[in-house]
Amino acid sequence: MPAPIPRVQVPSSVTKGEIFQVKAVISHQMETGLRHDSEGNVIPRKIIHKFVCYYNGVDVFVADLHEAIAANPYFEFYLRGTESGRLEFVWQEDGGGVYSLAHQLVVA
Amino acid sequence: MDLTRRELFLAGAAEFASANVVSAASASDEAAELIKRLTGKTPAESNRLHLLMPRTFPNGYTVPLSLDIDSLMTENDHVKHVHVLAPRNPLIEVATFHFVPQRSQPRVSTRIRLAEPQYVVAFAELNDGTLLMTKTWVEVATNGCE
Repeated sequence: MPAPIPRVQVPSSVTKGEIFQVKAVISHQMETGLRHDSEGNVIPRKIIHKFVCYYNGVDVFVADLHEAIAANPYFEFYLRGTESGRLEFVWQEDGGGVYSLAHQLVVA
Repeated sequence: MDLTRRELFLAGAAEFASANVVSAASASDEAAELIKRLTGKTPAESNRLHLLMPRTFPNGYTVPLSLDIDSLMTENDHVKHVHVLAPRNPLIEVATFHFVPQRSQPRVSTRIRLAEPQYVVAFAELNDGTLLMTKTWVEVATNGCE
């Protein structure tokens, strides 16, 4: 499987108190553990089981994910611009893999 | 009239299909029962939860889902989490989303897998422990869980 590639779409600046949209996606098979290979063996589960968005270290949006999340998991969610700083996006994969991205947000 | 095997099969299929049509009321009871089993608490059906999904969708692999909950999101009145369940999937839990008062809105969109036509259920837990629930019928043509 190719290495998962995370991407986010976030405004670079917002006004104080503004609600802004975040789009986050990662290329990932999201293997459910329910499928079998051609020899009848179960293909082991390997999914992104958690996604967290930190805003200056505070986990402002968290998603616990199960097998029923589609491949290439995509989330659109909404945050309030409280202060300038760092948004960090973290995807946790079964087996300990971690993928992340960071973004600087200016709150004017 | 002699029924062919095919006609018999179709008659049986029709009967089977009608037996599978769940009324909205019994689906609510079923959903509430399921939530009670999972949480120990009885949810109230609420129009503050908006669960938007297509009524019919060609494939079960990537069905769009949008959730929006009416809430002030203040310290004293906010949504803590919202859970999404697909009761007719082989594994019924879909996702849980957590929100923070003053910082995030209880609103999210994603894409999910559905194994068969079913009521998708969402329930939110408020800061005072109240559970609110809603459901929406989605008809998928192919199994998204295989």
